[in-house]
Amino acid sequence: MSRLEARELVIDVPGRRDGRSLDLSLEPGQVWGVLGPNGAGKTTLLHTLAGLRAPRRGTLRLDGESLSALSRRRVARALGLVFQERQDGFPATVRETALIGRHPWLSPWQMEGGEDLKLAEAALERLDVAHLAERLVSTLSGGERQRLAIATVLTQAPAIWLADEPTNHLDLHHQTAVMALLAEQARAGSAVMLCLHDLNLAARWCDQVLLLYPDGEACWGPRDAMLVPGALERLYGQRLATAEIDGAPVFVPVR
Amino acid sequence: MHAARHSLAAVGHRGLAFPLGLLALAALAALALSVAVGSVTVTPAELWEVALGGGDALSRTLVLELRVPRALSAFATGGLLALAGALMQVLLRNPLADPYVLGLSGGAAVGALAAMLAGLGGLVISGSAFAGALASTLLVFGLAHGTGSWTPARLLLTGVVVAAGWGAVVTLMLAVSPAERLPGMLYWLMGDLSYARTPGYALALLLGVCLLAFPLGRSLNVLARGALQAAALGVAVRPLEWAIYVAASLLTAMAVTTAGSIGFVGLVVPHMLRLVLGNDQRLILPACALAGGTLLMLADALARTLIAPEQLPVGVITALLGVPTFLYLLYRSR
Amino acid sequence: MRAGLGLWAGLLLLAVGLPARAEVCATDDAGREVCLPAPAARIAALSPGATELVYAAGAGDKVVAVVDYSDYPPAAQEVPSLGSHTRIDMERLVALRPALVIGWVTGNPPEQLETIEALGVPVFYVEPRSFAGVASAIERLGTLAGTADAANREARRFRDGMAEIRERYADRAPVRVFYQVWDEPLMTINDAHLIGRVLTACGGVNVFGDLERLVPRIGDASVLDADPEAILAGGMGEENRDWLSHWEQYPSLTAVTRDNLFFVPPSLIQRPTPRLLEGSRLFCEKLEDARARR
Repeated sequence: MSRLEARELVIDVPGRRDGRSLDLSLEPGQVWGVLGPNGAGKTTLLHTLAGLRAPRRGTLRLDGESLSALSRRRVARALGLVFQERQDGFPATVRETALIGRHPWLSPWQMEGGEDLKLAEAALERLDVAHLAERLVSTLSGGERQRLAIATVLTQAPAIWLADEPTNHLDLHHQTAVMALLAEQARAGSAVMLCLHDLNLAARWCDQVLLLYPDGEACWGPRDAMLVPGALERLYGQRLATAEIDGAPVFVPVR
Repeated sequence: MHAARHSLAAVGHRGLAFPLGLLALAALAALALSVAVGSVTVTPAELWEVALGGGDALSRTLVLELRVPRALSAFATGGLLALAGALMQVLLRNPLADPYVLGLSGGAAVGALAAMLAGLGGLVISGSAFAGALASTLLVFGLAHGTGSWTPARLLLTGVVVAAGWGAVVTLMLAVSPAERLPGMLYWLMGDLSYARTPGYALALLLGVCLLAFPLGRSLNVLARGALQAAALGVAVRPLEWAIYVAASLLTAMAVTTAGSIGFVGLVVPHMLRLVLGNDQRLILPACALAGGTLLMLADALARTLIAPEQLPVGVITALLGVPTFLYLLYRSR
Repeated sequence: MRAGLGLWAGLLLLAVGLPARAEVCATDDAGREVCLPAPAARIAALSPGATELVYAAGAGDKVVAVVDYSDYPPAAQEVPSLGSHTRIDMERLVALRPALVIGWVTGNPPEQLETIEALGVPVFYVEPRSFAGVASAIERLGTLAGTADAANREARRFRDGMAEIRERYADRAPVRVFYQVWDEPLMTINDAHLIGRVLTACGGVNVFGDLERLVPRIGDASVLDADPEAILAGGMGEENRDWLSHWEQYPSLTAVTRDNLFFVPPSLIQRPTPRLLEGSRLFCEKLEDARARR
């Protein structure tokens, strides 16, 4: 179990004033949803929290230690990131791709062993892509690639999940399956943070919500306090209709 | 073919042993062949005598003083180039990169031709080529770095433009050089092993980088998938990229110093191996060293004997052998 | 014990006596003293010019290896070739076991000459840049090959012949000459070049004599501007006027209006060998023709 704390954190979005600095903590068991319109800085926030970009100011602490002082290897054992964009310059199979999730856990001289392979196979199975194990990644559909990316992080087995729009390209069934997987990770003691465009997925699966405004303003807190029509309509500049179905609020844009 | 691709990860170190053992055998066979053939016939019986430490003076000179140093130089040069090419491809995340893509051979050529133009020989040409290669490396890196951080695309573009600049300087030097020096210059530019006699340093560097590359291999695998992905998986990206850049530059500079700028080995060998063995750097990098060395030894044996006593520049042979082989593999792999 | 002493004394005598009697030394054109324990019985000549010089020194029967284009004297064509002078077939060279290699300072790759020396075969560099240099090269090669008498005779014949030419043409009216070495790119020679010296000896004035480089590259325009009275050219092969007909498209050239376009067989004039004497005579006759057409 790990926790990630942000203190007076201002992410570095070029050409934007500082706005509101973030003071929040990703605790074991929490599922955070990050909502905001295009360009609000959701991806930048995730990369900053993962230590891949320097913040403009403020500090990040992973289990009480300064994130920037930790080795990448130490960070990668605690924290996994599902990227929104992926590049594949060289051919690689689905199985090889899932296996690289084991990278932070192996010493330089170690080869991936049977145990690592088992973990990767299990992750592929869990994400419903095991039947593609021999295929080259470049031949997969967008949704299959998305599930493979999540399977890779599942193989990595981090205590903190940062996922950038993990339901992109997924059909309804697989969207639900992925959200269920992440919720299960949280129940088992992980801290999860997701960038989402789908308000209804956030309403259904997240317990904490962070709203990011394009001007750098932000607010965060428990889901029910955040997902109120007024705040959301201001966030997206879009009028919404609200209903309650199956015990959760549902938001639908008004024509 | 794909069934064999992931075997490495599944079976661990044993997965390395078979393909590398096979390539090592091929290298030994090529070494034996290049020592056995030449424009002067040495019979197998005489070869055996020499191998046992005997033999007549002529056979000993032919085999030990001329053929063995040259074959080992060819092996080292081919291995250095293929290894450097594979590293550059990972560094730039671009399968089209080769050891010369960042202007290294151009810098080396300008250094070597300047020494030849000044009428200097042997060691000075080598030293000058080495200095030119490293100067080009620093120039490209400095320019690509600019005021901010460098990206592979920026590095590549800088390298290509600097290489074009060197090309112009080389043409200028050829145009103003005295006629009697032109043949030597052209041979150097085409790549030529006829004066390589001391393969020791090149072999040592090749072995050193291979050993170093193994523990870094998995990090390189991850880096090949992009800098951000690699950082998220625990790779210290910037130091690793520096290490690759310095290593590939040293390898190329050493190769160019040994035998001039020999084309195609650095681009084609890593690709041929990837098509057959997959893209695990722990396997590909040592395989490149072995296969690149083997290819160049065979090419040089042909260059020495094909139309003897005339000696062909080995660069011509590597292109003639490498291009059709590569095209065939590419055609078959679709 | 006594017998042992006697043997030692005998060996000592041999050691002191033999080399002193047979050792030969000469200074080559790179300024290095080359010594052989005995006159060389097997010689490899790494340029067509060196081959001619060795034959001229009377040591033709000792030549065991030549390079491509070593076509004179005709006997040289029967000697095994080591390929192009720019890349020697080292194996074949070693297999022919030469005791002495005649190298070409600017023509052979220095790395290969260094390798030959590293293998224990002495290299004697030859590159005459003057008439005196040609004569002296013949004499020095004669010394190393043990054919000093024949060599000195040939050197004297060459010196006397050249002196006679110089004397005969010293007071002739100057003729402005352009000598063409090559066509693509267009190349000529300056006054320091051996051909330039032939030109001067014949009473000619090289229109490009003052250029800095030994073999300058020039353009048609420079030739039109210099407007030589005669154009002399070699060409591919021994009887080929292609290079000269190129100039006929410029009727404004004095050399063209007076029909002073002369072919000189390149092998007679472009190699620093005794045949230069024959070439010089031919050269001087052409200039005489030009004077006659004034």
